Amino acid sequence: MTGAMDPTTRPKVSPFLEPGPLTKVNSLAILQLSRDNLQPVYLKSPADEHDGYAEGAVVNTRYGSFPHSTMIGVPWGSQIRASKVDTGSRGRKRKRQLDGDAGRDAASPNENENDNDNGHEAEAEAEARDTDGPAASNGIKEAVADTSGFIHILPPIPEIWTMSLPHRTQVVYTPDYSYVLHRLRARPGAVIIEAGAGSGSFTHAAARAVYNGYPTATCPRKGKVVSFEYHEQRYHKMSVELSEHGLEEIVHLTHRDVYKDGFLLDGKSPEADAIFLDLPAPWDALHHLSRRRPAQAVAGASSSGGDEVPWVSVLNRKRSAYICTFSPCIEQVTKTVSAMRRLGWVDIEMVEIAHRKLHTARDRVGLNLAIDRGVNNSARDVDEAMARLTEIEDRFREHSRPKGGAGGSAAAGGDVDDMDEDDDDKAAVAAAEAPTDGDASSPASSSIPSWMDGRLVARGEAEIKTHTSYLVFAVLPREWTAEDEAAAAEKYPCGAEKKIVGSMDKAARKKERRELLAAQQGNRKARRKARDEKMGEGAL
Amino acid sequence: MHSVVRPNAWVAVKLPSGITRVLQVAPNTTISLGKYGAFPANLILGRPYHLTFELEDRRPGETFSRLRVVPPSELYAEVFADEEAPSCSTPAPGTTEAVITAADGDEFSLVDADSGKVVVRPNNETIDDTARQTLTQEEIEELKRDGNNAGKDVIARLLLSHTALDQKTSFSLAKYKLLKTKKYIRRFQVLPIDVPNFSTWQLEERDASKILDLRAEMMGLVGCWGNVHYGGEDVYLDDPKATSEQGHEACPTVQEELLKGRWLVVDDTCGLLVAALAERMGVLSPEETDSDDEAEVKSEDKATDGAETAKDSAPTDENIKKEVVDDDEEPKETTRQGSDTEMADAQDEDQKPKADAKPKHQSPRASDFAIPFSQTNTITVVHGASQPNLSFLNYWGFDVTSPNHPPHPLLNHLLTLTWLQLLKPELDTSYSTPPLTASSETLSSWKPSRRGNFHRKRRRYARIHHIVDTARAGNFSGLVCASTMDPISIMKHALPLLAGGAPVSIYSPTIEPLTTLADCFSVNRRTAWTSGAVPEIADKSNEELEHWVGTEQFPLNPTLLLGTSIQTSRARRWQVLPGRTHPLMTERGGSDGFIFTGWRAKPAEGKVAAKGKFKRRKLEDDSAPQSEAAETPA
Repeated sequence: MTGAMDPTTRPKVSPFLEPGPLTKVNSLAILQLSRDNLQPVYLKSPADEHDGYAEGAVVNTRYGSFPHSTMIGVPWGSQIRASKVDTGSRGRKRKRQLDGDAGRDAASPNENENDNDNGHEAEAEAEARDTDGPAASNGIKEAVADTSGFIHILPPIPEIWTMSLPHRTQVVYTPDYSYVLHRLRARPGAVIIEAGAGSGSFTHAAARAVYNGYPTATCPRKGKVVSFEYHEQRYHKMSVELSEHGLEEIVHLTHRDVYKDGFLLDGKSPEADAIFLDLPAPWDALHHLSRRRPAQAVAGASSSGGDEVPWVSVLNRKRSAYICTFSPCIEQVTKTVSAMRRLGWVDIEMVEIAHRKLHTARDRVGLNLAIDRGVNNSARDVDEAMARLTEIEDRFREHSRPKGGAGGSAAAGGDVDDMDEDDDDKAAVAAAEAPTDGDASSPASSSIPSWMDGRLVARGEAEIKTHTSYLVFAVLPREWTAEDEAAAAEKYPCGAEKKIVGSMDKAARKKERRELLAAQQGNRKARRKARDEKMGEGAL
Repeated sequence: MHSVVRPNAWVAVKLPSGITRVLQVAPNTTISLGKYGAFPANLILGRPYHLTFELEDRRPGETFSRLRVVPPSELYAEVFADEEAPSCSTPAPGTTEAVITAADGDEFSLVDADSGKVVVRPNNETIDDTARQTLTQEEIEELKRDGNNAGKDVIARLLLSHTALDQKTSFSLAKYKLLKTKKYIRRFQVLPIDVPNFSTWQLEERDASKILDLRAEMMGLVGCWGNVHYGGEDVYLDDPKATSEQGHEACPTVQEELLKGRWLVVDDTCGLLVAALAERMGVLSPEETDSDDEAEVKSEDKATDGAETAKDSAPTDENIKKEVVDDDEEPKETTRQGSDTEMADAQDEDQKPKADAKPKHQSPRASDFAIPFSQTNTITVVHGASQPNLSFLNYWGFDVTSPNHPPHPLLNHLLTLTWLQLLKPELDTSYSTPPLTASSETLSSWKPSRRGNFHRKRRRYARIHHIVDTARAGNFSGLVCASTMDPISIMKHALPLLAGGAPVSIYSPTIEPLTTLADCFSVNRRTAWTSGAVPEIADKSNEELEHWVGTEQFPLNPTLLLGTSIQTSRARRWQVLPGRTHPLMTERGGSDGFIFTGWRAKPAEGKVAAKGKFKRRKLEDDSAPQSEAAETPA
């Protein structure tokens, strides 16, 4: 799954944005092995280079082996059967390849013999054997379905990608990024700056949010993510990933220290509408995001010789800019908010997101249930407890009553057996308490299948994330100069107000109501008149 | 969202008291903010959003208050003062300094061990505020009436004439000042009506039950898990050029290969969910252009119909612009004659990079059976009533009930149909009644109104057929719901319509409907289903199982959905002030809101056994004559 893909084979549109109806060669797919076990895979054609399997590239999992050839050209979401892949003799085979393909040819018939008794698979195998001849000449063996094991193949969606992320450091998870993108107004066509690309989870989600087509010659400005990463290894990893995902035209990734060098691209403004800062010290980067050269407060940080260069704002000068910073510590928040206030950001708000996943289960409680996992063998309700206690009590009484019929044994026991008798009592009680009455439980369990039985409940996960990071949101209004104001004032002169909108005082409201009523009445009269006339016409 | 306030745009006005007023800014009106005063709407038209304005005192000879933009340095003056105080980590010692002596020896005071200064004053001296305020209500009223300086005078006087001000702790002082500021300062902020702002207002100040308590967190999650995004460039079907004699056979057929980026939506939030999804797909508001303001004004003018009086009086001094506006009037006029397909043409105009001032050639009128809808990037809303309730879309200039609508992107991207039309179209009159036909001679002999009706009906027929046929063709890219209906019943009919791998994202204000839904896909059910414990499915093909009608034990086919999960999320808001940072004391309660997610699966044909359950398989094998025992050890 690693290694950069040949750029020429890249699908035209990223599979994240338009996966198409079927899986494709050289495209990313995500294998769902089990509920939360997801594995990204780049599907390769069997003719491509591989590790020496007879079937071409193969994914080996604990649920079986899956040659890529079985996963290409199928609808997304498909259930894929495991295939019989010879994983063991691979090394040996390679050595033997010097003497021809004898090794594999010898191996496969053996395998087939073993499975001949395998009901519904026999057909597939026969087919496979038929094609074995021509396929072998290609050097690629047709995959043979295994008797058990399956996985599902899912399209790359930012949420699934985030869940399957191979490197688990600094991940902005779905609950956070979904809220952030919503609040940042990241919509198709917007330009969003991201500093600290990290593992790319936010990057993918942001790219999806702002995507409104790939930039073309006629329309170069399209929705874009302008991403910055200072960590060199991560930068390289990310750029490879982006090109593999077909996102390099949507995401513009730069390797840079944004504290020092700011956010301009070759001295030009990306005209950002929104900014997401996942940095250790966002306050050191904020001054680069001003509309005007910031005052001396941060002049020290903006380094030397900045005075001659005219200030180019990173932000879209036409719109309000939305920002979000993502910091785990409250001290970082205090400093960030303070810096934001000094730089003129408004509507500053800090929130933290508490997210919970819930699992549903069927809680089965009852005395008469078969012992199974997740079953609680205690009384279901008071009535059941009462019934059980009465039953025990009855048995106890019956047992301790001097028995006329069994007098012989009682006499034989005599005084000595008092202890034994006690034991018997206990045994009787134990027998009553133990859920041995199979005949009692069987009707209950047979009438209600396990998936319908018990009370349906929802429980939280075993471990919850109680804190991810603090999110600080703010807005920077667009610049508004005296000239702008004069132009607007000329365009919309005041003094000719006719109506009052919003909450009014009583007198004004009454007046308006009176006018409205008068107008309505007029209408009604006019309508009635028109109708009468019409009816008159009809009568004629 | 636009960069400045447009005439007749809906805006949210945020008042110092925290109350938001949502209103339409019509030119040449006065906007009244109640006790905070009134100002002419023209003073905020053409001005940017998010600025804080202050109502100035009336100038001599003027009948209205002018506005002043409050610079941020003034907005945050107090915070800056706090920060500048020597040690802002302890609560503003500067202000308490004077009263330390009074508290000396007070055993409840918190005393800093090193300096011996009182850090926090006890609150046992708290005094009822009104008792210590020497200004009477009449005096305050008088101050308010002729008070100057946007209410700041009143606040200063109130603070000055408070006798116990020096006995307040710094916290209570700050609180007192904030309280008075909220009450008297004559400031406001203009916010755009976009989905986040609108939903916050609807949730916190209007009727939260109308939007099913859909909070911003949940809206973000629903959209992301539904993978809702821009679904590709618009593609339109060719006009079949059907003549008036041609009936159903001339209707364009569904071309499934063109259908892309379509989401199936069930919305009981009066259209908020649709608005949120439309915003994610870029079809909520007319395309944002980076061209100069004139173009934006133009598109805005087009979007707001029915405000002609206001628009007429709007100053349009430049000749060029006037021409543009006049030009626009034309399509409106034709629409009035009863042609709603005109919208498609108008939309095409919109998509041109910039509709410049030179007169446009009106394209020949589309035939009755031309489909105005894009084949990609669409929202299909299924509704339970005969008309969809999407009333909140009015705030974005879209009225779903209006037959002759001015151009709006939603016109070409929002498809609505009833459950009846989706499931049993033959029972729906408007779908099953064949279209009227008439020869051109009879047509020309009719009165214009009858002719208009004839065309309208034929157009409606073509539209409904297209919507129903494309919806029934399925292959949707995702399902998004926020509905009061039982999610199981929705899923029963919606699941077969989803493409493989398509995400499902269902919101519910309460968890119970979602747990029952999730239980339909429980491991036990799935195992029972795949292991052959369900006799009803024994001889059914996958195709038949996809349309599983449901039994009491298996309401849904449990193998059709993967990775099902239920989640909830909540944002906790904090106050961040120097030395006084803490979570807000109260927030909205009510329904928490949950979402159910999963991905549509395509089960493999035939029986598929899971790996690693050899024991169970052996048991099954015992009953089956064909034993796999020989294979098991391997």
